[in-house]
Amino acid sequence: MSLYYVYFIFTFLVTIKISNAIEIPEKFQKSNHTNNWAVLVDTSRFWFNYRHVANVLSIYRSVKRLGIPDSQIILMISDDMACNPRNPRPATIFNNAHEQINVYGDDVEVDYRGYEVSVENFVRLLTGRVPPDTPRSKRLLTDEGSNILIYLTGHGGDGFLKFQDSEEITSQELADALEQMWQKRRYNEIFFIIDTCQASSMYEKFYSPNILATASSLVGEDSLSHHVDSAIGVYIIDRYTYYVLEFLENVHPNSKKTMSEFLAVCPKSACLSTVGVRRDLFKRDPSKVPITDFFGSVRQIIITTDPIDIQEIPKRKKPMSINKTKVPEKREYLPQFPMHLVKTTV
Amino acid sequence: MQEANRMWASASFVGVLIIIGLPLWWKTTEVYRVALPYDKINAFETDSHYISTELTVLANDDETAQEVARQIEKAFQESDVIKLKITKKIIPNKLQHLLDSVADEQEALEDVGAAFNIKKHNTFYVVQRKPLYQDVWVGTERVAFFRDIKACSTIVKVLEKWIYQPSVLIGARSEIADAARQVRFPSGPGYHVVLSVVHPRPQELKVNFNARDAIEDYIGSFVDELTELHNFTLKSQWLHLLDFDFEATEVPGGRVAGAERLPLLLTRLEERAATHVSERPTLNLALYVVPCRLAPLALQRYDKEIPPPVQAFMSPKWGGVVFGNPTPEECEKQVYTPPVNLIMGTFLSQLRKLLGITDKEAQAGARLEALRRAAPRAWERDALLRLRALQQLASAETSLRSLAKLLGEISNIVINDEVGASINLAVESIHRATEHMEKADLLEAHRYSQRAFLAAETAFMEPSLLALLYFPDDQKYAIYIPLFLPIMFPVVLSLKNLLLWFRGKPVHKEKTD
Repeated sequence: MSLYYVYFIFTFLVTIKISNAIEIPEKFQKSNHTNNWAVLVDTSRFWFNYRHVANVLSIYRSVKRLGIPDSQIILMISDDMACNPRNPRPATIFNNAHEQINVYGDDVEVDYRGYEVSVENFVRLLTGRVPPDTPRSKRLLTDEGSNILIYLTGHGGDGFLKFQDSEEITSQELADALEQMWQKRRYNEIFFIIDTCQASSMYEKFYSPNILATASSLVGEDSLSHHVDSAIGVYIIDRYTYYVLEFLENVHPNSKKTMSEFLAVCPKSACLSTVGVRRDLFKRDPSKVPITDFFGSVRQIIITTDPIDIQEIPKRKKPMSINKTKVPEKREYLPQFPMHLVKTTV
Repeated sequence: MQEANRMWASASFVGVLIIIGLPLWWKTTEVYRVALPYDKINAFETDSHYISTELTVLANDDETAQEVARQIEKAFQESDVIKLKITKKIIPNKLQHLLDSVADEQEALEDVGAAFNIKKHNTFYVVQRKPLYQDVWVGTERVAFFRDIKACSTIVKVLEKWIYQPSVLIGARSEIADAARQVRFPSGPGYHVVLSVVHPRPQELKVNFNARDAIEDYIGSFVDELTELHNFTLKSQWLHLLDFDFEATEVPGGRVAGAERLPLLLTRLEERAATHVSERPTLNLALYVVPCRLAPLALQRYDKEIPPPVQAFMSPKWGGVVFGNPTPEECEKQVYTPPVNLIMGTFLSQLRKLLGITDKEAQAGARLEALRRAAPRAWERDALLRLRALQQLASAETSLRSLAKLLGEISNIVINDEVGASINLAVESIHRATEHMEKADLLEAHRYSQRAFLAAETAFMEPSLLALLYFPDDQKYAIYIPLFLPIMFPVVLSLKNLLLWFRGKPVHKEKTD
């Protein structure tokens, strides 16, 4: 009798194994994005908010390492910590008390710095309504095939995110900005991460499709920082971002990790706040989406096999230049006192 | 008397606050919005736009002409994006004699060109010529030769897949980006083309390459043919000491670069190429001079196939890279002269694809004469004009529709006069462009569609169209209520007494003993 049970369990397990093996080719749902962008924003200033700058720079380094080029990363940092007179390690920003990696580095490209990081500039960046003289490196030049990673960090509250200690962006404004992006087809999919207090209130009002959002804490909870570096004297990194970085350290450009593993990255025991996720606007199943869809970069390469064999060497007709006779420049001193401009009275 | 004073006092409060103040406040806090032509915008039907084009069939006898025309008409009947106006003609005897006797197709082309106007935009001629090796022959002018009536099906395939390409036109008109649209640069009034010569080891090798003349002559002659479409600015630069680790593996005959490293080469080039100097999109053409210790460097292993004459790759919406491999003799002498013709020919082939001229796959029985010059073929130019006209028109309509929807949804966006003017200009240009497209007037149609596209983009991306920040409705009332309620409270309460007094009734009940 017991042998019969053992035999039954054995066949059951074998069947499960086989059905799993058949499922593997279907593991990833195909994405149709053609390029990747990242918008990384740190909204708080002052020396005691060092950890927010370290947060955003750590994500910047990870995203760069996984392949997104600088021309497709918009980095907004509200205050200069590396050159802050209170920084005992000038020109560096660390995200760990061991001070092993300088996340500032010498090739960081900050697009919006200092007071340029404002609610207006952020909304203008997202919607594309920048002033006409904005350089290309400060514009979000996405198209309908772009997957965008948006990361916000700073101080927040129920329904708002504080910028620069003096203004706020409400969740409704953020939702409207993303809807305007959708109307103009400026994104294919968005992955929205926010690491502030009561962070999940910021994504509650979203109503545009293809957005997957995650937050470090729910409404009513505070996101906490991880540890202090006594040599620098401030909190160095936030909990949620610390565990995210730990996860991303094991991700390389050919990684097979999925988004659902990312969404489960910080359990309540580690983060002390509950990580919130919003997946109803996202069409695909996060457990079938590879993490490189948002954190890595797709750049298609097409090998050219058909050069044109030009027989007659072309010569472009140069436009007729007008013969300019060179007039020798005469230089002279202006009179010291412009007496010639003064009407002399008789 | 005192009562009358009191009543007049409270009446004046009511007058100022409620009768004057309330409408004044409403009027001054309303958002300035210009009236927009919402009905015209909602009436756009993007999927019904089509382009007319003229096609002339020239044959030796009536029966052939009829049959060819009939087959072509049947094939293009269901296509709703391009409408052909087919005219049939018999070839005049002199021309027929010339076409039959001339040996070379080029001379035949010249003869046809002398008799008919093949320089006119948006036309095409299908001419019969007996001594052809294949069924159909297509060259650089707007003429296709066919042999006889049995070549009908090949003619139809050639027109569909090479000349008119209705599938690509439908892709241009639709909202979803098809494969061809993902490769080519988005529509715009102009581009910058930058030729960068990347020389990682200038101390080891001297490179003889005149980049400025190369780009002026070769790329310049190409873009001169496309002046109706876009405005091109040509630039060239040298990037020295730009090293890159290809992680090359050794193979018999040379080295092969790692396939995953190639996209990172583009990132490395972007760091130094400084292409963000203008707001126009930039097409990057990079000539990478491979260092002597790595030469010859290939992009993939070619075990059995013949490797192409030059190693090059391109990236959609970015540009292309060509590898210049110096030979061992040139490495000895430390002077490298890149083959200008071959390299610029490769760049031209990449540039064509990036601008929208698609690859033509081979058709059985038809011969597409290889392009031996920098300038594009005449019918390729027409195809580009059609493509861009449709794409810009569709894009303008989509922008206007989404802008109208957005302005309807979010009620506190200011719509000022410039935005209104841009939108009206865009709507009018869309109507004119549609008319010209239906009349087969391609150049005018493209001009109006470009105007519509730019006006719609200007309207949508107007910096003043920012929703009023910090002033959402619920916060508006949260400010007004504590400000005005304490004042309005006694005023509203005294209204009842005021009304009673105006009607003449005593306000207070008289004390009766």
